[in-house]
Amino acid sequence: MTMKRIAFAITLTGLFYCIVIDQGHPQTQGKSESTIELSYYKKADMTKTAVAIVKVRRDSKFVPAKNAKVVFYVMHENVQRLLKSVNTNNKGKAVIVLQKDLPLEEDHSFSIVAKIENDSMYENAEEYIHYKDANLTLHLNPHDTDRIVTARVTEVGNDGKEIPVKGVELKFYVQRMFGIMPAIEANTISTDEKGEATLVYPKNIPGDSAGGLTVVAKIEDNEQFGNLENKAVTSWGTVLEAEKDPYPRSLWEPSAPLPLILSITLMFGGVWCSYFFIFFHLRKIKKGENILL
Amino acid sequence: MVNETLNLPAGQAGLKNGIEILREDCLRPLQKWGRSTLIWIGFLLLVIGWGLYCYIHQLRNGLGVTAMRDYVSWGLYISTFVFFIGISHSGTLVSAILRISKQEWRRPITRSAELLTFVSLLFGGILPIIDLGRPDRLANIVIFGRVQSPLVWDVISICTYLVGSTTFLFLPMIPDMALCRDRLTVCDSRFKKFRKWLYTKMALGWKGTKSQWHTLELTMTTMTIVIIPVAVSVHTVVSYIFAMTLRPGWDSTVFGPYFVTGALYSGSAGVILGMAAFRKLYHLEKYITLKHFDLMGRIQLALTLIYAYLNLNEYWIPAYKMATAEGRLLTDLFYGSYSKAFWTCQFGTVMLPIIFLAIPKLRKPLMISITCIIIVAGAWVKRYLIVVPTLLHPFMPIQEVPESWSSYFPNYVEFSVTAACLAGIFLIITLFSKLFPMIAVWEVEDGLKIDYDKQAAIYLRTKREEEEAKILEDRLKTGSETIQQPA
Repeated sequence: MTMKRIAFAITLTGLFYCIVIDQGHPQTQGKSESTIELSYYKKADMTKTAVAIVKVRRDSKFVPAKNAKVVFYVMHENVQRLLKSVNTNNKGKAVIVLQKDLPLEEDHSFSIVAKIENDSMYENAEEYIHYKDANLTLHLNPHDTDRIVTARVTEVGNDGKEIPVKGVELKFYVQRMFGIMPAIEANTISTDEKGEATLVYPKNIPGDSAGGLTVVAKIEDNEQFGNLENKAVTSWGTVLEAEKDPYPRSLWEPSAPLPLILSITLMFGGVWCSYFFIFFHLRKIKKGENILL
Repeated sequence: MVNETLNLPAGQAGLKNGIEILREDCLRPLQKWGRSTLIWIGFLLLVIGWGLYCYIHQLRNGLGVTAMRDYVSWGLYISTFVFFIGISHSGTLVSAILRISKQEWRRPITRSAELLTFVSLLFGGILPIIDLGRPDRLANIVIFGRVQSPLVWDVISICTYLVGSTTFLFLPMIPDMALCRDRLTVCDSRFKKFRKWLYTKMALGWKGTKSQWHTLELTMTTMTIVIIPVAVSVHTVVSYIFAMTLRPGWDSTVFGPYFVTGALYSGSAGVILGMAAFRKLYHLEKYITLKHFDLMGRIQLALTLIYAYLNLNEYWIPAYKMATAEGRLLTDLFYGSYSKAFWTCQFGTVMLPIIFLAIPKLRKPLMISITCIIIVAGAWVKRYLIVVPTLLHPFMPIQEVPESWSSYFPNYVEFSVTAACLAGIFLIITLFSKLFPMIAVWEVEDGLKIDYDKQAAIYLRTKREEEEAKILEDRLKTGSETIQQPA
């Protein structure tokens, strides 16, 4: 009997916890469940950035969390050091530029932690990345008629020397005005023992008015190195001759055909001239001038 | 004009007396604001007030408060806009065309026709703005408007026509304003100070000098010539808004002349109604005579026949082909949900007026007014039938919309706002008729003088012929005596 009572009490307490305490907590706090996606980018100009994308659960969907305070730390020798805190934008994005003096471990790796801590709107969340510092270089001869580009991936060894990295997947692109375009259909190439990946660029890619073309090599979401990118300007593109008159005058272009403008101007201009002629004479009536006789 | 040396028995005195009576008859309604007028104005203000309330409701909550949805985005407002623009052709027809063709009988009815043009155009121009969900963006059509767009042509031509018709209304009013300035400010009338100021301003210092008359004649002739093509352009451009859109029922080359004829047809019916109303209300039977109704009836008949011919072309040619989308629209019009309205409209606005107007005995004020009421109401329904069924039958059906959106009938907001516009037209006409003479006094005076000159000429000719006959008779008598003498 006693056991039954204890079991009943435990069940009641469990139910109470589930219904009131566990579910009631977010209601009383008014905070939303949030997640962080953390990425690392090393651009062509050697700037390094850490990007945190914060999302929040709304009606069983994750949507960008606006104005969430994200605190970035760097881990060094098992100690967290504060880097910076940044608020997310409308897309839930918070970005920090990592300084050149970012403390690295002995193997030239680093760890970044992004946290949401004690935010009034969002629940606490945390994400951690650990990458090794690597270099991506591009070798090409702009005057090479074969249009060969070689990308080399190296990491820094314990002795400070650069070591080629084998088996890293590289992607080759061409810079366009509003983004990047794959250089060829199968644009993913792995590096060899020398840490090199080579691609022959097609000859028919349109460049600028001088045939200038920017080639781009990227390492995307690599588990060792994160995201790396490098660019080089060549003259491998076909010369793009600017259209002399890209929008000729017509009914469906921004500028109307001249005969139409001329017709409308003549028709309505003639009418308005007649009106002004009348208004002018009305003024004369008012002044009582003898204008016709 | 008048032969000053002429000394007809009671001639000049009769003319002067006639002119005086005319002036008194035309100015009398301006001095009386009866209770019925005030009640009528109050009623119109109530309708306008309610319409304004509904429009503010529409502005605050968007066009969703109307019955218009994705299928029908041009409903009652745009149908009424086309109808009002059509009515605005009345002034051009009666005033300009009859003036240019020197039809003397036009004189007493030009003012009301020109006024009808002005007010219907004013409210016709307002309706597309009401149809805009964001009227604050109206200036964008000027700032970013494309010259290629018929909507821009429409804005240009309607503005041009509005300025022209206002000038055309104002010009012949100048001598009458001087008459009002000299006469009405001394009599006991409402708003004496305001009237004095208004008439003085509008008379432009008119003294009736020879140079002023010449200037007025010159400006009026210019305006008469200019206003006709402008009026034609307005309704042609309104038709282009439809005809240049690729939709079944609108893709027609006959739309330009069809709209212009339809406008003249409904506009002249509006003028006849105005004539009948002012004749009855202001006791102008002496000036707006049965002859005017008979002649306007003939014009109306001619216009109805032309309209019927174009109407036949508009429906018969696509009905012969029954091409897919066009066929669906025509089936709906001929046998479907709009068939009752369509056939009633065809019978009422084409068949019935032809029968009624062809019989001279029926071209009397009452019967012709009934006919014209049917024509005007039918013309309104016709515009609705041009706009709405086409929008409900697009080439490609609009997807993922509620079933209810595929039908349309205006709701209380649209009816209220449209009624307010109509009330606005009546209010302006009422106030105008209480401030200004509804007959162009000086034009009718001119008519009287011309009549007097004609009569004087006939009198002189008859008198001269009589004298010559008498002299001849005397000579013959004398001659016979002279002949007899030598014998």
